[in-house]
Amino acid sequence: MRPDGLESIRAVQSALAELIAPELSSPFAQDAAQTLQMLLESLAAVWDSAADELRRDNQSLAGLLMSSREAIKSASDSNESFASAVSEIEQRLSEDVGDSIAIAALSSRNDALRRTLEHTLMAFEDLTGEPPSAEITSVRGDIYGHLRDVATRGWSFWDVSSFRRRMTGIHQTTTSRDDAP
Amino acid sequence: MLEQRVREYLTVTLGVPDVAISGLYRIPGGASRETWSVDARWLDNGREVSRGFIFRRDPDASLLVTDRDVEFRVMKAVAAYGIPVPRMHWLETDGAWLDRPFFVMERIDGCETSPTKVLMDPRFFPGRDRLAGEFVDILARIHALDWRAAGLEFLGPPAGESDCALTEIEKWEAVVDRDALEPQPVLRAAFRWLRRSLPAPAQRIVLVHADYRTGNFLCTPEGEIKGVLDWEMTHLGDPLEDVAWACIRPWRWLGDEKIGGLMDRGDFYRRYAEATSIEANEDAVRFWEVLGNVKLAAIFITGARSFCDGRTRSPMMAFLGRNIARLEVEIMDLMEV
Repeated sequence: MRPDGLESIRAVQSALAELIAPELSSPFAQDAAQTLQMLLESLAAVWDSAADELRRDNQSLAGLLMSSREAIKSASDSNESFASAVSEIEQRLSEDVGDSIAIAALSSRNDALRRTLEHTLMAFEDLTGEPPSAEITSVRGDIYGHLRDVATRGWSFWDVSSFRRRMTGIHQTTTSRDDAP
Repeated sequence: MLEQRVREYLTVTLGVPDVAISGLYRIPGGASRETWSVDARWLDNGREVSRGFIFRRDPDASLLVTDRDVEFRVMKAVAAYGIPVPRMHWLETDGAWLDRPFFVMERIDGCETSPTKVLMDPRFFPGRDRLAGEFVDILARIHALDWRAAGLEFLGPPAGESDCALTEIEKWEAVVDRDALEPQPVLRAAFRWLRRSLPAPAQRIVLVHADYRTGNFLCTPEGEIKGVLDWEMTHLGDPLEDVAWACIRPWRWLGDEKIGGLMDRGDFYRRYAEATSIEANEDAVRFWEVLGNVKLAAIFITGARSFCDGRTRSPMMAFLGRNIARLEVEIMDLMEV
């Protein structure tokens, strides 16, 4: 269907910028319009990729949970948190999640997997005394690697507004001017 | 409608026959309270008086759940100790006048708060060094203030210097517990890290502004800070909490490492230590920077909760709620995981 979702978001952004914003006289309304632009931009950025990223994240999360379960089982010292984590992982991985690729279904699964990952990571973080096994150290690193990969895809409010880029541009201009002989 | 009610309020409160008002508008920003500016004119013994006021009204929903009484009382108290703040006029704790509680303060004209203006506008470039100096000096003055003598004991001091950090961890962990709508493994890991990495006891217990950063002061193009704003999170605690908050990446603004977009970290620490005799210990600042990023994420989570619960339609709440990921990256970098 054309215009597709992304094209429609771009149309809304254009109308907001070219037709609506110039008519706004109040600074508060202008500011709200700019925030709407940022919100729309953050939606546009994930419009096409959201489902695929969620599907891949869910696969990755399931893999991390399996690795965590094996690392815990191979650890010489067990504890209540570990036993609870293994039990939760096994239950989570055995759930019938269907094959829907609707974003709501994928998000719901993502939430469930992340919650189990959170509990598992906390069990690792709560380890005291002897250093954790090499397996646990390794999977703990992999978990943070995954969390970092996902977070790095996100936007920060100081980037999105283009404020930072604009400032960097001006800053560079100023710096080069200052550096000029 | 609001204009009429503001006019009636000022007429009654000022105790004059009539007040003429103009230029009522809502100021952008101020995500925790609505901020309105208004010009008022009235006759005082036949002499025309003209004054600008700022109304800070509780919102329908907010990024923060804070007590406007605290902000009002603290700003009023610190003014007597040479801290530049707008003069506080009146506090209304019920919604009789404007539907929701609010307070009224002096409007300071000829200044800017926006980091966009303060850091980007060429008019402000010549004042940058002075501004950096004032930024540190005023923070030092806040931390030097005798909070008992200023009547601020009601803020509830931590039990001791070694309790400051844990008190703040518990405060923000409770916010995440209350408002998180989805799993937060990075924040949960950060709380674990913070508990394992408690800093040395505070060098002294001070009045912590708790949102001291570029963007929260009124300054002139010449670099004079005429008003420190947004005291709603103020409390008694470790001075390095403010130092680290000023350092966190979101408030650096220029895309480089300059603190507040104003000065190198080393200069900031050195100037601050000279003014306060408080050393910015690297490990302690790192602890407080992790906590600062966690706190900001928690604040955004509260905004997201307000939005998703339907208590606000603010696009800012939706936008910030969707964007805590980069704070997570910063937290993981600082934790070195």
